[in-house]
Amino acid sequence: MFDSAALQADIARLALGERAALRRVYEATSAHLFGIALRILNRRDLAEDVLQEAFVNVWHHAGSYQASQAQPMTWLISIVRNKALDHLRSNQRHVADSIDADEDPEAHQIADERPNPMQLMMQAAETMEIRTCMESLDASPRQCLALAYYHGMSQSEIAEHITAPIGSVKAWVRRGLERLKKCLAH
Amino acid sequence: MNYNHPELLDRLAARFALGTLGGPARRRFVRLLRELPAARTALVGWEERLAGLASSVPHVTPPDRVWEAIDARTAPRAAAAASKSGWLARLFKPAMGFAFGAAMTASVVMTNPALFVSLDRLAQEEQGLPQSYVGLLTDAGNQPTLLVSSTRQGTRVSVKFLRPVAVPAGRVIQVWALPKDGAPFPLGVAAPADPPKSTTFEISGSSEKLLSTVPRLAVSFEPAPVTGATPPTGEFVLSGFCVKLW
Repeated sequence: MFDSAALQADIARLALGERAALRRVYEATSAHLFGIALRILNRRDLAEDVLQEAFVNVWHHAGSYQASQAQPMTWLISIVRNKALDHLRSNQRHVADSIDADEDPEAHQIADERPNPMQLMMQAAETMEIRTCMESLDASPRQCLALAYYHGMSQSEIAEHITAPIGSVKAWVRRGLERLKKCLAH
Repeated sequence: MNYNHPELLDRLAARFALGTLGGPARRRFVRLLRELPAARTALVGWEERLAGLASSVPHVTPPDRVWEAIDARTAPRAAAAASKSGWLARLFKPAMGFAFGAAMTASVVMTNPALFVSLDRLAQEEQGLPQSYVGLLTDAGNQPTLLVSSTRQGTRVSVKFLRPVAVPAGRVIQVWALPKDGAPFPLGVAAPADPPKSTTFEISGSSEKLLSTVPRLAVSFEPAPVTGATPPTGEFVLSGFCVKLW
């Protein structure tokens, strides 16, 4: 677990230009954040880039972090996830646009040995004490939520991945999100 | 679409946070985040809910080269800060509030700095705004006070007074550019005006030349217009981000 108060204090310090604070935040959170980026991008080189970009941004924008609004770890996770998703979407476009590119886009790809996203979600649900609540949801909405969150899949990618109509996927994603909110509200 | 509908806003925020809101809808929501505090609140709520899902993701220690790269990329500012003598730190103290309160630029821009460029482009495309450098200077209480702007290739800076500026007798409103690396340099002197009036002053080169590596602007009250490499004699009474609008 992360010491939220210590992280918050360090983010305030690094906003004032204290480099030791940046190092502390990195040491406390980089393994978790790298794990998240790696899961979405499934490529170590891209995940390293994303982590680097994220921390450079944290250094420059720490002043904008509002403790009253979000937990420090939530703020950091959101930065990393958004960067990873941007990378993922633009990289996909890039690959689609340049079939003749010299470089093999698969070169850095690692075998997809990522744990089953469904397992990850139920494990997290256990920690969040909403496992029973989430389990009462059909498997499809749960799977859609898990694929979108852990693998950063778009709705059309999910549809392709699980061989289902896009309309159903949209409805399932929505149902998954609604259930998560409901479970957490109790 | 009626964005005042809280349920719709919540659904959009949920999909944005999850990453499944794509294409034009995502861009529209980004714009909404700037305009509607309720949209930002909804987004933070969803980011918080979804962050719980990350708890099960196995930690993977990144290779040392990642920190080395971060260290190298963040070092210049630190080196510059260290080389600055005490006067700069003293000058900045009253302005520190602004660093924390800079949320006025909407927290989403900060949590998603990558969106900044597209937002600017969007604003320009939609409103036909000219390519400009724009700075919003706030006082110690974070109140927007001066809007400083100039076109990209222009040499005339416009200063719009959003609030009255009480200039001490015998002093001038000296506008400073605070480069990413290095000491502040004087941009020019703004003649005082009553809000919402504007005044202008000439700068020694084009905005592009002078401001392309300047992330912040500031104002101090000086006994006389400052030229050359003279440091400010007074504290920065106003400061704020300087951004490219294109």
